[in-house]
Amino acid sequence: MRDKTHREQVQRWAEYVKENPNEWKTELNQFIDAQFQMAQKFYEELAKTKEGREKIEKLKVMRINKR
Amino acid sequence: MKKITRGVTDKNILDIFAEDFCRIIEKYTNYFICSGFVSIAHGRSRATEDIDMIIEKIPKETFTMMHKDLVKNNFICMQSDNPEKIYSDYLIQGNSIRYVRKSKGMFPPEMELKFVKDSLDEEQMQERRTFPLTKLNLYFSSIESNIAFKEEYLQSDKDMEDAKHLRIIYEESLDENKINKIKEKIRRLRL
Repeated sequence: MRDKTHREQVQRWAEYVKENPNEWKTELNQFIDAQFQMAQKFYEELAKTKEGREKIEKLKVMRINKR
Repeated sequence: MKKITRGVTDKNILDIFAEDFCRIIEKYTNYFICSGFVSIAHGRSRATEDIDMIIEKIPKETFTMMHKDLVKNNFICMQSDNPEKIYSDYLIQGNSIRYVRKSKGMFPPEMELKFVKDSLDEEQMQERRTFPLTKLNLYFSSIESNIAFKEEYLQSDKDMEDAKHLRIIYEESLDENKINKIKEKIRRLRL
């Protein structure tokens, strides 16, 4: 559950973005890219397992059905 | 064409942040990572700003040493620089604290850290484990407990999707009986 420190974090980040319009995007992109790289790396490992490709297909279906 | 091999250099900023932080924590106490980062480490393509970590309760003196070690290694606590204040005003009151890498903007990711608070947390600590598929050298709470918390306690759309995702990844090994027991305990202790 979100607590007070989470709300403080949201405020802190919003203030930084406002005060540093030319800097925040590069830093944030690196961080977001890292999360997608992590997912990509995981799927490469999952694909090597016995049922991996089948599971990846199921996950794709799950994402499509969500839309 | 030169073959690209994966190795140590394959780590991204998120891997390095989490593993660096955990290497310091485990010198002083046991920990486990739970919630959103478990799903992200298992391939959920969504973003999060924080990594949730629960640690065993430690005395103030031990926490002070741990905090100083974190600071020495370029982490900063967003709540205060004073370890005694962090311990007394936050941790011991059951509140979380947040560490980031020292930088101008104090960018995410943040490590959100708190003490174990009840037998649910203690059980997760006892059952903490690594997940080889993630290629991360980190301890996580069990998949069953993550699913139980997301389906019974958190319940946002994002959490329900995370739970479904984990159910597919571990469909052949999930212990439904264990999930139900954790859910029952959540109802009793947290709701």
